[in-house]
Amino acid sequence: MPTKKLVTSYEQDLKLFPDMWHKVGLIAALAFLLVFPMVASAKWVTIANLTATSIVGAIGLMILTGFAGQISLGHAAFLAVGAYTVAVLGNEFQVPWWLGMPLAGMAAALVGLAIGPFALRLRGLYLAIVTIGLLFLVAHVLHSFGDITGGVSGIAVPMYTGLGDATFDAPWEFGDYEIPFEKKLYLVYVTIAVGAALVSKNIQRSDLGRAMIAVRDHDLAAAVLGVNPARTKIIAFALSSFFAGVAGAMFAYQQQYITIEPPFDLNMSVQYIAMIVLGGIGTTFGAVAGAIGFTVISPLAESVGRHIPFLSENLTSAQQSTVLFAVVVCLFLIYEPLGLLGFWLRIKRYFSAWPFKY
Amino acid sequence: MLSVQDISLSFSGVKALDGVSIEAESGDLLAVIGPNGAGKTSLFNCISGVYQPQKGDVRLEGDSLLQYSAHDIASKGVARMFQNLALFDQMTVLDNMLLGSHHLYKTPWWKNLMFGKAARREEIEHRERIEDIIDFLHLEQYRKMPVGILPYGILKRVELGRALAMQPKLLLLDEPAAGLNSEETEDMARYILDIKEELGITQILIEHELHMVLDLADHIAVLDFGKRIAFGSPDEIRKDPAVIEAYLGGEEE
Ligand SMILES: Nc1ncnc2c1ncn2[C@@H]1O[C@H](COP(=O)(O)OP(=O)(O)OP(=O)(O)O)[C@@H](O)[C@H]1O
Ligand SMILES: [Mg+2]
Repeated sequence: MPTKKLVTSYEQDLKLFPDMWHKVGLIAALAFLLVFPMVASAKWVTIANLTATSIVGAIGLMILTGFAGQISLGHAAFLAVGAYTVAVLGNEFQVPWWLGMPLAGMAAALVGLAIGPFALRLRGLYLAIVTIGLLFLVAHVLHSFGDITGGVSGIAVPMYTGLGDATFDAPWEFGDYEIPFEKKLYLVYVTIAVGAALVSKNIQRSDLGRAMIAVRDHDLAAAVLGVNPARTKIIAFALSSFFAGVAGAMFAYQQQYITIEPPFDLNMSVQYIAMIVLGGIGTTFGAVAGAIGFTVISPLAESVGRHIPFLSENLTSAQQSTVLFAVVVCLFLIYEPLGLLGFWLRIKRYFSAWPFKY
Repeated sequence: MLSVQDISLSFSGVKALDGVSIEAESGDLLAVIGPNGAGKTSLFNCISGVYQPQKGDVRLEGDSLLQYSAHDIASKGVARMFQNLALFDQMTVLDNMLLGSHHLYKTPWWKNLMFGKAARREEIEHRERIEDIIDFLHLEQYRKMPVGILPYGILKRVELGRALAMQPKLLLLDEPAAGLNSEETEDMARYILDIKEELGITQILIEHELHMVLDLADHIAVLDFGKRIAFGSPDEIRKDPAVIEAYLGGEEE
């Protein structure tokens, strides 16, 4: 029976995996991540990579909106900056991907820092509306530098490894066994997603996260407690756009060819908001669960939608998944406002009280 | 230690404060009383940097506070309890109180991203300090509960604890006993005395509970319609005709 271990020191309170059950869970999760690419079909490995990308992007939005309370509809703009950073750096300077990714994050963070001071003057919905402006601004800039960004016709995204002209999409071969591009990406992307989740969790449980949540819930009280609201929001902006930039780079490398809009449009921003709402605002768990839920629902909805009589006759498969997704989000908002997080908390509570029901 | 000099504050015509001056010596327990709308909370707002008085000056240990914003004033050692609780409901009691230590953290923000050894060590240092406060206020059993589910009487204590976690030089208490039952009020009075005697923190107390004020305070300032109508020791205030007229309504002694 998973009872709580007695806490005997304050260090123990700071551990992410304090007791046996947490460690068992951790090992099971790692084992799943390792075995998954060996057994899953190519389609699901691709979906897993998209999921990892969404996780990194959703963590970015969670830091800004979920922790610091700044509603942004411009998230896709930061992904665009990241994506086009790696595309241009690859094409112009053959910059390898492992350098391109952090540079993409930094480029997006710089844009985030640049608009931060404007954002400080706005609250709530005003900020949301103004950040839509950022979306158009970035798209406009990308369009007007058509000779290096490819303009409307888009641009190829080479993924150099740094070893001469070699690119990452060539499969690794070990004798008879070969690891194709998507599976190689999987290893990299899962590592990045896990790293991003760790960083986000660290923010959440440290002084920095407390300050962000204080600013979100009551910025005047936060200031009287010694938290500098402006500084805290700027840090949130920078971190959020960094992760968005990295997610944009991940997206670009996986797609290998990108255009401006779609995909980097209001629709993508709204999808990220849907993810963090679905997962549960304000926690790392919410960002990860929401991103997984969102990315996995679409292909599932496509298979389910076919069997729902009215939907399958009148709507395209993309529309079917949109409708089903909207239904799922609405159900969550009504029955579980805490999102998947609330769901999880309930399961956890059930097990920690087991075998007693209450 | 604290010197409020002739401050005035008005909101589009309404004079919340009109030429108010008060002085508090180090270690003093100063009470501010007055009827509803007298400007007591506004006085606190001017000291803690929430509002800027249009006239006058607020000095802490000789340093004018008007040049600083609220969060800087907090790190200079001014802590405050709000009249209508301003706790963070979704955080635990512990996290609320750790937030009080925010300005004491020396770890640069980016080190929290890794939350490595140094950051953890500092977190634990603050945790140990907070545990002393939890002890002092008898909050042990609530430590890990989210604030949102706790009863009002406990919340008042948590907010006092959070203010103490700031290691303040000056503690502003805005009606700490409002809404408490008589037993809780007595506890609160006890804590306030202990803070004065054991920790030596200078306190300014706004309170409607007159007996509490007369028992606890070293000095009392009386506000009415934004003006300070009396200032002195509890005995002097008890006898002051202006106070009896305006506030006590002649009922006292
Ligand atoms: N933000 C504000 N905007 C407009 N008027 C305000 C504001 N804050 C305070 N006032 C006005 O200033 C006057 C003093 O208010 P204040 O809150 O300081 O009174 P108080 O002495 O704390 O009263 P109470 O005992 O009810 O808490 C009141 O007339 C109030 O309406
Ligand atoms: Mg008041």
